[in-house]
Amino acid sequence: PLFAGSRLLKGYRGGHVVIRFALGGCTNRPFFRIVAAHSRRARDGKYLEQLGCLDPLPNAHGERVAGLNLERLRYWLGCGAQLSRPAEKLLGLAGFLPLHPMTVTSAERLRRRRAQEAVAPAADGSPSPGDLP
Amino acid sequence: MAALGVCGSAALPARLSRVARTVWGWRAQRGLGQDAGPADEGKAAKPSFADEAVQNLLYKMTGLNLHKVFRPVKKELKPPKYKLMTEAQLEEATRKAIEEAKERLTMPPVLNEREPINDILADDKFLEGTESTKYVFTDLTYSVPHRERFIVVREPNGVLRKATWEERDRMIQIFFPKEGRRVIPPVLFKDEHLVAVFQQDRHEDILNRCIAQFEPDSPDYIRVHHRTYDDIEKHGKYDLLRSTRHFGGMVWYLVNRKRTDGLLIDMIHRDLLDDATSLITLYHMLHPECQSAREAQEGNLQGVDLIKVFAKTESQKEGYIQLALQAYEEAMATSTAS
Repeated sequence: PLFAGSRLLKGYRGGHVVIRFALGGCTNRPFFRIVAAHSRRARDGKYLEQLGCLDPLPNAHGERVAGLNLERLRYWLGCGAQLSRPAEKLLGLAGFLPLHPMTVTSAERLRRRRAQEAVAPAADGSPSPGDLP
Repeated sequence: MAALGVCGSAALPARLSRVARTVWGWRAQRGLGQDAGPADEGKAAKPSFADEAVQNLLYKMTGLNLHKVFRPVKKELKPPKYKLMTEAQLEEATRKAIEEAKERLTMPPVLNEREPINDILADDKFLEGTESTKYVFTDLTYSVPHRERFIVVREPNGVLRKATWEERDRMIQIFFPKEGRRVIPPVLFKDEHLVAVFQQDRHEDILNRCIAQFEPDSPDYIRVHHRTYDDIEKHGKYDLLRSTRHFGGMVWYLVNRKRTDGLLIDMIHRDLLDDATSLITLYHMLHPECQSAREAQEGNLQGVDLIKVFAKTESQKEGYIQLALQAYEEAMATSTAS
């Protein structure tokens, strides 16, 4: 039996349950596990439960595969777990949660930057894009 | 029969039998047996594959060749086990073997092709251009049946749609792998390679693999099955499927398309008159408005007369059938005489 004072049963002060991504895989080959864990734990350390996975690299059919155990996710959200920002964005893309406002904002920023870059080379043919803010 | 004791422990590879037993909740689940029983011959509802009467006829025609059903399958090589039994024990063992063979001969369901899924859940146009590849999200809840699982795709143009059937099958195989099924369907199931399989007479094996790989209502499953049945009918190799679970499906396919002549001739050649009569009964059940059905109902014909009426009215190869019947009758006459 483990005693409270032993090294294996580490106690934390404060902290809460978060649902976040734990990185795994090898060099140049990331793989995320969607995990419910204490916020004070290491990113890849001991977690409470694995709720799914995400493979960020596209497969042979050009899709990024993600699995989400929605029933357990609902349980942990009901227990008061918080979500990390990438997890919120992923769930927004999936349709489980409404779209994250940062997704919308970054989409708009990207579009604006691309529009400016499209206008700028057309405007000044001479190589000096440095006067743009 | 010492042979039966030897192969008492032989079984189909566990994967294929497990696949067989799990999938056939189909019938109960989808309520395919519309109105069971022969009551719907004259009514508007056409008898379907899952009706009791149809299934009984098909099962009788399939035959029960224990040596073929329990044929030794390639497994890990073990020395054969011999058992010493009394007559009573041998009968008991035979009875149990027959029951297990009946279970193995349960016919896979014959369904219509599934409708493609075109359901859009959300459209967010401002997401256009942020990502380059699509996301596929699968619901991994363990207690949800695979048919009702949520699998959605977020395209790069921002539209959130339900996944197509092929994507669904692939994702379900990735996260909940089933034995005998591959994520990407093997190249073997393409038409040009099926030809090679048929040349080697391995129709039963390819049909077993097809059942393991595809869902019964997928277009690939239906296409492979139809090609196999066409090839068997073209070359007259009906005996390859005779004591297997695919025989019923083949007979159903042929009867629906009215191409039963070759099968009928084959049955008469092998002296299976009962099977021939049940084939014609099934034909009449499915096509009650044809001439031979009406004549049979009026005259209440049985046995050889039924076949003769059928040969005269419905079949294309009347001459062959008459010849086969003649040969059969001569053989019967000589055997009873001697």
